[in-house]
Amino acid sequence: MSLTFGTEAWAAALAAALNVSSEYRNAAAKWGDGFNGNVLLVFDADATLGTTRALFVELTKGSCRGASFVPGVSHPDAGFGLRAPLSVWRDVLSRKTLAATAILTGKMKVEGDRMTLLKHTAAHRALVACAAALDTEFPSA
Amino acid sequence: MDPLYETLAASLQGTVRTPDAFTAEHRENYGRIFRWTPRFVVQPQSQRDIVTLVRFCREHGLHLTNRGAAHSQSQLAINHGGVLVEMQSMHAIGAVDEKSLTVDVEPGVLWSDLTHRLAKSGLVPPVLTNNLGVTVGGTLSMAGIGVASFRYGSQGDNVVEMDVVTGEGSVVTCSPETNDELFWGAIAGLGSFGVITRARLQLRRMKPMTRTYYLLYDDVRVFLEDARSAMDSGKWDHLESWGAPCAQGTRPVAGERQVFAKWFYPFHLTIEYDAGSPPDDAAMLAGLRPYDNLYTDDCPTIEFLERMVPVFALWKKAGTWEFMHPWIECILPWETAADCIEQVLADTPPGIQLGGHVLLWPAKGTTSRSKNFMVPAGDNLVGFGLLPAVPQKFWGEVSERLENVSRMMLLFGAKRYLSGWVNFTPEEWKEHFGARWHELVALKRRYDPDSILNPGFLPFEATP
Repeated sequence: MSLTFGTEAWAAALAAALNVSSEYRNAAAKWGDGFNGNVLLVFDADATLGTTRALFVELTKGSCRGASFVPGVSHPDAGFGLRAPLSVWRDVLSRKTLAATAILTGKMKVEGDRMTLLKHTAAHRALVACAAALDTEFPSA
Repeated sequence: MDPLYETLAASLQGTVRTPDAFTAEHRENYGRIFRWTPRFVVQPQSQRDIVTLVRFCREHGLHLTNRGAAHSQSQLAINHGGVLVEMQSMHAIGAVDEKSLTVDVEPGVLWSDLTHRLAKSGLVPPVLTNNLGVTVGGTLSMAGIGVASFRYGSQGDNVVEMDVVTGEGSVVTCSPETNDELFWGAIAGLGSFGVITRARLQLRRMKPMTRTYYLLYDDVRVFLEDARSAMDSGKWDHLESWGAPCAQGTRPVAGERQVFAKWFYPFHLTIEYDAGSPPDDAAMLAGLRPYDNLYTDDCPTIEFLERMVPVFALWKKAGTWEFMHPWIECILPWETAADCIEQVLADTPPGIQLGGHVLLWPAKGTTSRSKNFMVPAGDNLVGFGLLPAVPQKFWGEVSERLENVSRMMLLFGAKRYLSGWVNFTPEEWKEHFGARWHELVALKRRYDPDSILNPGFLPFEATP
């Protein structure tokens, strides 16, 4: 059954997917080890998303302690942010665009220490892969 | 018949071909990424032919592209609608000046031919590329790096003097002391400012035998520390290394199962010696910490210099020589090298070994004076290259990933080596050359005011 993007059910499904993913567990084994690995994913409003949404994902050493949509576009406990218009996220989550391409070309903005993110490319790729695997119903124009 | 053919052919000592006589090789380079068709292919016989050609191109508004062995992979050594000049027809090797240890050569000389000629006298160019089947003019225009670059810099750093035919058709003799602006413009200048028609190369005496220690590392950081130690020790003549994958089956990558590898790092350390006086192995290897010491090879130095010939022969025999070669090579700062190498190789399928390989070369930031061969700041550097052979049908799914490798290298502070596949935007080119870019633009205006030489790669036309 499809999950509606932007709902707490979608966020919970992502957290659950991360915690059962061997790809994520291996790729992110060192993510958050010695630094704050919590990530804020910001989906900027566009033609299909009336209001910018932000998803706070608590991540450390290959596991997810929770995910929830939060108000605003920042979070005091986030170590990193990935921010792009929903249209870019849709392309990434539907595998039309590699997450790496979106990040490396600047279509997806990075907040936080870019070098740390670069050193853990497999971790954020696996994070995005888990989100992409969700059967998601996106808002339409 | 092309209306310009007879005029052109009559003015040259060399030969002129029109498209009906072209081969596939005239339309592409080793990258096999671009297919361009020139209007004429010329095999010049002399410097005078080059002068005549340049003036002919200026008069008729044609672009001129010179090629050596066409081992480049971007928009170099190929020409669209103009004149492609096959420089291998100018391949004379002069007599060695024993006093100064120099030799004058024409640009189309293959390094393999020169190496064989010099070996009879116990001489060798200080730096040789791994592939000796490329030309002197070609690698001087690129920089030319090899397993002795950590000692002697690039091949361009070992040129004493050159004759260059500028884009105006003037012959200029230049050196680091005389007409140095053009000299350092032409070295690693990608043919942008003139055509090299003669190079006087510095040589060194070599010992007749080499001993190579085949060490293997399982940790890139230990390997790099030992590589730095080897460079600093002053004991070694040649240092060569790779990434070597050990396939581990499949695992999910972005949700799709892919073959992955544990990467090892072969490190070959070579010393030249006189027959009967082999090196002391224990002393040579003292302090190094390899995972394994696999083999110790003794061979004549000329055989060592040609050690890659069987590899390239195998690639040709297997057919991968005809694949696409979007090589991504860079020079990394020492500080970020291990992280970059680990990240890139984690996503590199072991299949890259099929007709290709992963190169690593420890380097010094202080050995090259070249102004166009851009490297990061620092005393110690690491060369790193993914050198795949890609079947044409896989290009669509591979190209984006390789572009991301290049982008990642740049974010880790690397400078690209430009013989490979480089798909920079004009802004990225400016970033690559930094303050040198404005000097290059000025050189272009001065020495090739009509922009006829080697267009299509460096974006001079995008700079107002």
